[in-house]
Amino acid sequence: MLQKTKGYQVIKEWMQAKKQAPFNFQEETWHQILIGESGIVNAPTGCGKTFSVFLGVLIQYINQHPDNYQHTKNNRLQLIWVSPLRALAKDIGRAMEIALQELDIPWKVGIRNGDTSASERQKQKKLLPEILIITPESLQLMLAQKNYAEQLNILHFIAVDEWHELMGSKRGVQVELAISRLIGASINKLSIWGISATIGNLEEAKDVLIAPLGKKGCIVQAKMDKKINIESIIPEEIDTYPWAGHLGIKLVNRLIPIIEQSNTTLIFINTRGMSEVWYQSILTAAPQLAGAIALHHGSIEQELRLWVEDALHTQKLKAVVCTASLDLGVDFRPVDTVIQVGSPKGIARFLQRAGRSGHGPGEISKLYFLPTHSLELVEAAALKQAIKEEMVESKTPLILCFDVLIQYLCTLAIGEGFEPDIILKEIKSCYCFSEITDEEWMEVLLNITQGGVALNKYDEYHKVIIENGIFKIIDRKIAMRHRMHIGTIVSDAMLKVKFLGGGYIGVIEEYFISRLEPGDTFTLAGKNLELVMLKDMDVLVRKSSSKKSKIPSWNGGRMSLTANLGKMLRQTFNKALIDETEIEIKSLHTLFEVQQRLSAIPRNHQVLIEQIETKDGYHLLVYPFEGRQVHEAMSAVVAHRIGQILPISFSIAMNDYGFELLSDQPIPLDDSNLPEIFSTESLLLDIQKSINSAEMAKRKFRDIAVIGGLIFQGFPGEHKKSKHLQSSASLLFKVFEEYEPNNILLRQAYRELMEQQMEEERLRAALDRIFHAEILLRFPKQLTPLAFPITVDGLNRNSLSTEKLEDRVRKMQQQLDKN
Amino acid sequence: MTAPIPYIIQENCFWLTSERGIFWEKERALILSDLHFGKTGHFRKNGIGVPQAVYKEDLQRMVELISFFKPTKLIAVGDLFHSADNLELQLFSKIRAVFSKMQLILVKGNHDVLDKSWYHQNNIELTNRNYTLSGFHFVHDPLDIPSGNTEFYFSGHLHPSVSISGIGKQILHFPCYYFTENTGILPAFSKFSGTAKVKKKKNNRIFAIVENSLIEIEK
Repeated sequence: MLQKTKGYQVIKEWMQAKKQAPFNFQEETWHQILIGESGIVNAPTGCGKTFSVFLGVLIQYINQHPDNYQHTKNNRLQLIWVSPLRALAKDIGRAMEIALQELDIPWKVGIRNGDTSASERQKQKKLLPEILIITPESLQLMLAQKNYAEQLNILHFIAVDEWHELMGSKRGVQVELAISRLIGASINKLSIWGISATIGNLEEAKDVLIAPLGKKGCIVQAKMDKKINIESIIPEEIDTYPWAGHLGIKLVNRLIPIIEQSNTTLIFINTRGMSEVWYQSILTAAPQLAGAIALHHGSIEQELRLWVEDALHTQKLKAVVCTASLDLGVDFRPVDTVIQVGSPKGIARFLQRAGRSGHGPGEISKLYFLPTHSLELVEAAALKQAIKEEMVESKTPLILCFDVLIQYLCTLAIGEGFEPDIILKEIKSCYCFSEITDEEWMEVLLNITQGGVALNKYDEYHKVIIENGIFKIIDRKIAMRHRMHIGTIVSDAMLKVKFLGGGYIGVIEEYFISRLEPGDTFTLAGKNLELVMLKDMDVLVRKSSSKKSKIPSWNGGRMSLTANLGKMLRQTFNKALIDETEIEIKSLHTLFEVQQRLSAIPRNHQVLIEQIETKDGYHLLVYPFEGRQVHEAMSAVVAHRIGQILPISFSIAMNDYGFELLSDQPIPLDDSNLPEIFSTESLLLDIQKSINSAEMAKRKFRDIAVIGGLIFQGFPGEHKKSKHLQSSASLLFKVFEEYEPNNILLRQAYRELMEQQMEEERLRAALDRIFHAEILLRFPKQLTPLAFPITVDGLNRNSLSTEKLEDRVRKMQQQLDKN
Repeated sequence: MTAPIPYIIQENCFWLTSERGIFWEKERALILSDLHFGKTGHFRKNGIGVPQAVYKEDLQRMVELISFFKPTKLIAVGDLFHSADNLELQLFSKIRAVFSKMQLILVKGNHDVLDKSWYHQNNIELTNRNYTLSGFHFVHDPLDIPSGNTEFYFSGHLHPSVSISGIGKQILHFPCYYFTENTGILPAFSKFSGTAKVKKKKNNRIFAIVENSLIEIEK
């Protein structure tokens, strides 16, 4: 049927003229689009996934307008193309424009995101182009316009690019909500297509995306074998005491020949902070690369980022040091080599990054793995095995994100206003909110109309008001602030960094700056900067020549090992000192020997527990190899349970291999009570008790407070006035905890913690495994190779105490006296 | 309320309380700083729904202190109010009326931006920079204390807090009173306020507010 249509023939001829032919999966997608289906296209980057959906839309259009498709202009918005990264928009737009031009179809392609100029936006307000490429945030902003429903009502298609990245994030929830509204506003039957890389739960990803349609949908898969060549960079000398993050830099010289022999190299660093360090180190090691190497991460000024992206296309750069900022989408054809520094923490991410090189069908992706501490070599071995076994992780979709819902409702309230009954139906059609209860819905409405607990007579909270059953925001200042706010869903409160004399450098997390004092130096965008002062929402700095500078620790550093990789890792430890056929395992021989001599090497069926006394205090180390997230939860539960035996205070640290409880007094754990401490009995209760006392929800609340509109970031022209509206997330957390513990956003922080971090299921499974495993309880005389990286990682420690606060303070004071 | 701690300055006894206020026995004066009344109302008026209960608690704590010490005057060392006028301030006015015989002196802080008539109506004596009583001075910002002064200055503005650390990498933070030989900085009275860290040195004394008690930090 497809082959007979005019649209198909037009497209096929056009391709033939370019000596191309459609791939099977493209034809399959076109067919599905033709019969009005929705679903997901699953294909690796660089093999025409954009064209699978885009050309399908054109074929449909040509079929519907066979005689005048080359003549009719101003057809209003036909296709919304949601793309998570601004960087992607330009490239996709360019590709679409070229195709349209060659096909002589007078459609226009517009781009709408944070970079779109005001004049362009005005033009779009009057008349939208046929295709609009848009970020999730800007799509929300469109819904805050007064006449959006009219403008969008003849829409036919929504395409969501990189859906595997969006799903599982709050931006993904924004997309779900927007889709539900677009369906509600459109007079057509919408067709929704997601484009996704391979993840473990593709079927679920499809269900989440098209949930509001109430259809089953289909998955079109491109069968393309991608060859990946992975090589670990083995340090000449292995540190027996691997210090997280420190080994890597020493290997910088090994990168230079790789960069020089390659066409263009992407160097992926896990955190923005470390990317700054690497950029500097590479320049120091190979000054000849100056000008041919660049830095790219989310905190760098946009103009510079765009320049880097352009330069990558045009092959002006030899190498780019980047973070997840270049993970997605764009194909930089000149890139033929990828270097992954440090553990990628997951199989899917590793594959995706590898895929950034050698895109063309049939080309080989070449990836080097550079460990930042020697134990990561074990991870490399585990990753290789996982890829061989085609193991890929799943992405868990988020549910009941009330912060995003509150933001969305306020957005609608600014635009045309909303009627709760109609909107509730739409919201319930979204996967994220399908389980919302009437009580919760009422609470959300109360939150935006009455703002929680108030002293009636003395209150002036009028954010959203109700007029004839329509919920609206009419206060212009509040509306303006909300608009400014929508883009800030990217989590932490960000502050702009500027030179004293003017000149914008980039943005930085409030969290990091709050720990600095004037005079401290830090690194951003490759520059050493001295903090002069915080003024309104700006961080004022001057250039610094100081060699010692603090590196911002961004959230990326807290990424956790996935369950799949954790399992592979445990299996890989079985090979230590036994099967050394793999170079990674072999090179760690000495390290394993020391570990064996001081303590033990935990095999797959065992769990190692070490108790060590140092001048820092009494350490209890447990190595479940379940990833940082599970360890954070498990350590809190274990600390809480030990704290029931006697009053005790812990400082808690963890990495992907295990966790440490550190105390100033001996920790009462031995063979006799081990089973109790790691039992799955009354787990849920203990989880709840331990997260309350460990203040872990505070970190979650930071994001929620920003998205839910509790933290106001200020905007140009309102600096002075908005200063009186500033407060920090931690202060708000304290205030809500004490005075409004029932607040829906505060409760969400705890729920997110339970669901994402304290995942009861995964925790239960992990505890169960420990319970049934053979426990190796050891008392080493000194820190072991496995213990070292955990104890030295001073950042992000948690604490948990069952002592009375007053007693603790008095004891701490006495301890100081003794010293 | 737990027992206040006496702190002697130039033969005057100042009672430090864990309720974030000082009672000056000789002058029967209650000294408070950075009360930021009306802050929750200001946030709420701007569409940020913070609970007003924190304001109510602040007011109650002030009333408790007044009822306990029965001061003849209250000296607010700046930032008595947070921002522009709002309904919440009426609640303050009501309480002010109850204690109408008590003198209320406000050393103007950077947040005290209300109209002069407002202070007048509420029987508040406004001083712009420095208030002096029996040789003791009161300024809002510690930076306004002249260098090399020999007389004693009380101030606020900073919202001081102290971190204490112990064996096993334990760290705790508490709001605190901060004294040097000639200066004293009060903790912020409002519980809806952030803090700035101060450090224990040889020549200063720090009293941490640990829940309901005061503990002097020795090291």
